[in-house]
Amino acid sequence: MSDLDRAIEQLRACRLIPESQVRELCYKARELLIEEGNVVSVDAPVTICGDIHGQFHDLMELFRVGGDVPDTNYLFMGDFVDRGFYSLESFLLLLCLKVRYPDRITLIRGNHESRQITTVYGFYDECIRKYGSANVWRYCCEVFDYLALGAIVLGASSELEPTGSGVNDMTQSTMPVEDGVLETEVLNSRGEVTMSTYRPRQRSSSDVSTDSRNISPPRDISAAPGQTAVPTRTGAPGTGASGDGNGSATTSRTGAVLCVHGGLSPLIDSVDKIRLIDRKQEVPHEGAMCDLLWSDPDEIEGWGLSPRGAGFLFGGDIVKQFNHLNGLSLVARAHQLVMEGYKEMFDGGIVTVWSAPNYCYRCGNVAAILELGEDASNGGTVARSNGEYGRSNGVVGANGVANTVVSPGRRYRVFEAAAQDTRGMPAKKPVADYFLVRLTNATYKIVQTNPSNSDTNTSSAFSHPFHRLYGFQKLFDSLSILCLGVYVFVCNLNDQS
Amino acid sequence: MASRPSAAPTGHGAVSPEMKKPHVISVGDFRIATQKLPILKAEPIEEMTKQLGIAPPEMIFGDNHVTIEHEKTGWGIDFNAFDALDRVDKTGQSMLQVAYSKEWQQSREKTHEGIKEVVKPFDWSYSTDYKGTLSPNAPPFEETEKPIPIELLKRPDPILFFDEVVLYEDELADNGIAMLSCKIRVMPGRLLLLSRFFMRLDNVLIRLRDTRVYVDFETREVIREYQSKECEYEKVRQILAGTRDDIPALMRDPNRLSEILPIVEKRSERVVLS
Repeated sequence: MSDLDRAIEQLRACRLIPESQVRELCYKARELLIEEGNVVSVDAPVTICGDIHGQFHDLMELFRVGGDVPDTNYLFMGDFVDRGFYSLESFLLLLCLKVRYPDRITLIRGNHESRQITTVYGFYDECIRKYGSANVWRYCCEVFDYLALGAIVLGASSELEPTGSGVNDMTQSTMPVEDGVLETEVLNSRGEVTMSTYRPRQRSSSDVSTDSRNISPPRDISAAPGQTAVPTRTGAPGTGASGDGNGSATTSRTGAVLCVHGGLSPLIDSVDKIRLIDRKQEVPHEGAMCDLLWSDPDEIEGWGLSPRGAGFLFGGDIVKQFNHLNGLSLVARAHQLVMEGYKEMFDGGIVTVWSAPNYCYRCGNVAAILELGEDASNGGTVARSNGEYGRSNGVVGANGVANTVVSPGRRYRVFEAAAQDTRGMPAKKPVADYFLVRLTNATYKIVQTNPSNSDTNTSSAFSHPFHRLYGFQKLFDSLSILCLGVYVFVCNLNDQS
Repeated sequence: MASRPSAAPTGHGAVSPEMKKPHVISVGDFRIATQKLPILKAEPIEEMTKQLGIAPPEMIFGDNHVTIEHEKTGWGIDFNAFDALDRVDKTGQSMLQVAYSKEWQQSREKTHEGIKEVVKPFDWSYSTDYKGTLSPNAPPFEETEKPIPIELLKRPDPILFFDEVVLYEDELADNGIAMLSCKIRVMPGRLLLLSRFFMRLDNVLIRLRDTRVYVDFETREVIREYQSKECEYEKVRQILAGTRDDIPALMRDPNRLSEILPIVEKRSERVVLS
């Protein structure tokens, strides 16, 4: 067994590897990632995952539901670290898997893979706490700078092979099976189908956009057909996304899928422009690279500015146009919490995938991963579209006959948070505290309640430093300095009922 | 969650059974109830967005609430997310800007002059001066100088009931935190509720708005105290720099920040239920 395999085994057990090994791992990972372009090409089948945020046990649940590496080909869309308690274990495991199976796992950068963000949102603190110095944090940040900014999934099948075991009573379908091809399926973590939608079999195109895209959770207000002036996916049946004049036998009917963490950028009108970015740097505060990692879709027309004073929002017309010009059928992104784990918007033109169940251990949301199947109809030949060869360049459709770009068949596996060993986790019940008393003198007692049941992370898991032993001394120290009043916790209750 | 959950995580699956049952206790004529459920699903969020006229925070615990009721007089006060959000500025007049906004906008001016429209401006920090929702027939509060009797609350009386309920929370797109939560503590003779809005916009501003409700079960006296505190981020950081503490951790801790932030508004009201 190689060192790497041993490290993987150890990390899978949620045990950290020595600092020297982290350094070596990060070095190898950088060597590997530097070879990758800004936009990595990935062939279907692939399983696309959203934010992880250091929820290690849920990442294990993800692998249980989606299959293990290298059996399953994975694409993670960033935000591996911060907020959860196990950013290190999660990220290092993913990195080990990347080095061990470079062709079976793709990691792209999220906005949390940044020095600045990780110092505020937990990863930095976790590195200090678990390794005693900032070295490991530094190694990891160097890796972050080399992560790709996006990925293009090619060769995805436009239809799904139906999953055998359905929960028939629960299954909602939009159309009888014999009339259409299976376009989307939602499965629970036991592998039972809970919802499926069908698209009419290839015939005239115009119904394509109206039929069955609305599988998203109901928050999605799908853009009404014909809402925008952007050419819709119409055209002769069977015309390939990339079939324009390449002369090759690329008859794939499925457009490619662009995966980015955040979304689109007004500076980026083609996938090629992403390839031109000099990515090997800290995530900047502005510009194309920043937008790709930060922007959000919204129910607007065109581009808009976020009310926060920084960041772009983009509407359905932007997505449609971008997809059309680049021969894409779908943009997959992460970045935003969605209660149902996934959310399709804009007539199925974009999907948000969220893979951190019970986010921050208390939102109660489910998570999802998106599986795209392999298009077997070409005998395994992968059609190169958008940004590869024979890309459509925007003139398609000028004569009124646009190529049909069909969405890939999409299988969402929805899963809940892992039941986890609560050792090492902060106390389960809320600790009663007095939350009021403003004192002018120090005639009170403070009782420690949070028994140190954790060797790893109680300290920063709580944002109340008073729950930590050392906090008490500091409290007394600061009393003399800050006599504005002190809120005291007398924490003596474990009983909440 | 600025960065870390401040309430104790359940460590269970998505919806632990513990979260499902409402917690209720009756003391004398008073009934106290709390409810903790997961964040809202897409459909109720859609509905809430429509009714509020603004997009709710990312983590919206729309089914959560804390209620205190006096059954005999029909007096009651409820703390819930919807009513709190309804008091958020929806016009964009008191809109804050993230720290690097200027830098960002300058670079944007060079490249995308065409994109000017700020989408749905509103106070995205979700700052609210919410003091709870009174029941329709509740006798009105009157201004008072009488403070909440702290000495009585400091006594180590048995705590019959304690709960902490988050109403909403937003990460301000990784620029800090906004969070509204309630804590309630019930003793045999009295109760205390603290509804706290905490907002930290990194490198810009820290804001704390506390509403405390004190109920004396015997005298049926209710005192409600509202305190608004805020201070520029940098000032707070400088004050804390004088301590030997872990500054980033302190910046996440409303309890410690509360000691430092100056009061900008304070009001006390009381009512005796008869």
